[in-house]
Amino acid sequence: MRSIKTTVGALALSLFAGTASAADDVTLQLKWVTQAQFAGYYVALENGFYKDEDLNVTIKPGGPDIAPTQVLAGGGADVTVEWMPAALSAREKGLSMVNIAQPFKSSGMMLTCRKDAGVASTDDFAGKTLGVWFFGNEFPFLSWMSQLGLGTDGGDKGVEVLKQGFNVDPILNGQAACVSTMTYNEYWQVIDAGLTPDDLVTFKYEDQGVATLEDGLYVLEENLKDAKFSDRMVRFVRASMKGWKWAEENPEKAALIVLEYDETGAQTEAHQTRMMGEIAKLTAGSNGALDPADYERTVSSLLAGGSDPVISKKPTGAWTHTITDAALK
Amino acid sequence: MIWLVSAVLFWVVMLALNTWLANSKLSGTRAVRICVPLIFGMTLLVLWEGLVRGLEISQVILPAPSLIAQTFATSVDTLWVDFHQTVLKGALRGFIIGALAAFATAILIDRSAFLTRGLLPIGNFVAALPIVGIAPILVNWFGFDWHSKAAVVVVMVFFPILVNTVQGLRETDAMQRDLMRTYAADYFQTLIKLRLPAAMPFVFNGLKIATTLALIGAIVAEYFGSPTRGMGFRISTGVGSLSIDLVWAEIAVSALVGSVFYGVISIFEKRVTFWHPSQRS
Repeated sequence: MRSIKTTVGALALSLFAGTASAADDVTLQLKWVTQAQFAGYYVALENGFYKDEDLNVTIKPGGPDIAPTQVLAGGGADVTVEWMPAALSAREKGLSMVNIAQPFKSSGMMLTCRKDAGVASTDDFAGKTLGVWFFGNEFPFLSWMSQLGLGTDGGDKGVEVLKQGFNVDPILNGQAACVSTMTYNEYWQVIDAGLTPDDLVTFKYEDQGVATLEDGLYVLEENLKDAKFSDRMVRFVRASMKGWKWAEENPEKAALIVLEYDETGAQTEAHQTRMMGEIAKLTAGSNGALDPADYERTVSSLLAGGSDPVISKKPTGAWTHTITDAALK
Repeated sequence: MIWLVSAVLFWVVMLALNTWLANSKLSGTRAVRICVPLIFGMTLLVLWEGLVRGLEISQVILPAPSLIAQTFATSVDTLWVDFHQTVLKGALRGFIIGALAAFATAILIDRSAFLTRGLLPIGNFVAALPIVGIAPILVNWFGFDWHSKAAVVVVMVFFPILVNTVQGLRETDAMQRDLMRTYAADYFQTLIKLRLPAAMPFVFNGLKIATTLALIGAIVAEYFGSPTRGMGFRISTGVGSLSIDLVWAEIAVSALVGSVFYGVISIFEKRVTFWHPSQRS
């Protein structure tokens, strides 16, 4: 009995000694540039939530030419913020990405159309030009169009797809009837450019039943087998979710924190505050754990890609609750 | 490990073979002249394949040549559509418009000192415009289809052809021009019979530089808005969806096209400037 006690004591000591050493490094690769879309992580960094978990977190901003999936594959990050369709597509291509947490409950993606271009409902899409983001973001759109039975190679029966840069110019200069927008970002760029909400009609992917899970946290499957790595991720997710909930409750303060970390100086306070307000709506209702029902919905909408499905077979093991279960205890 | 060793071994053997070929009595023959670069290129591919497999590099970072070849073979129709959109529609049309415009401008500039002083600096100015700066603007002006790509190509190829042609038209010396005068030849006769032929080596030099610029211009312009086809479209979006093998297949196509394009211009040059010392073998 006594020997057991000493062993337990020694074990506790050794564990204690382990945590007393230098903080563990974690590198997070964002999907896009520094903005309120990622407020939770910046808040956790600024308010010391990561430090409390004994983590030393580096946040790498993304951009138009950075594919988070590739950064993860190349070992440039431990964990990355990515959309489920891109992650599943990468998984099918042999990069075993696993969702470990899902801070976003709802999708912020929508198609914004001009009424004067003759679009009032989804029935009016045929023969129109629609702006779509590629670089991994085209998957939800493609599955939506195939469910509407519209081809994506022009003609009167299908839609003409324009590869939209990461701006909203095509709808402003009349090149496209609709453009892809996020509720929290590009939609407001259209409004700021002088169009009013009355000029526009929006189709939320959420309402169209083709919403896919956005901004989840992904790691490589082989890393999860390492207990130390998993433990780091548990602490990371716990602190990040704390950051998210804080950001939901204090949107103005969170926006200011994001601005502080924006090294480009491109973001404005008004835009970030507005964005944070919209982001809070999307993160509300998620404690960080992925809802399997949402996952199934995403997979079935991607599989329903008609002739050109995003993924060809049901993925297995693309998500896990082990991290969030431990983190949210 | 076996891949690594055999790749390196292959490289050493081929290097020895190439060295021997280059130093042997046969080095002057046509067959050897073609063989040496072919062997060298093949060696690079084998080394690449061996390193990627031997070091177990992820296919989404750098695919092996065998995989790229396989993708190339299975997606020929996609590659053809992209080639048609980017090369035949964008690059070639832009190249022809740009070359003709530059040539006409060069003749005008040559005609008057006033234009030489006025237009050449503007040509210089256009040459200094960064493509990533003008491409989005031209896409806004000309729409996202091939027209805007052709416009970018025009801007890119205009200057090298202009400068070379202007320089070429100044190639004749006073003695030759005086001779034409003694024949009572007017400006146009002098231009067509003496000055243009003399300018041809320079004109072709400009055209050759422009071939590569045209391809680069057409591909890069597609990054800034394009329909869902084209080499630039496929390269820029393929990285995002991790179809790196397809991206490399497109790069292979553009390398092939670039070489053929350059080769065709070179063949024309040989025909037209057969009299020039550089063409004597």
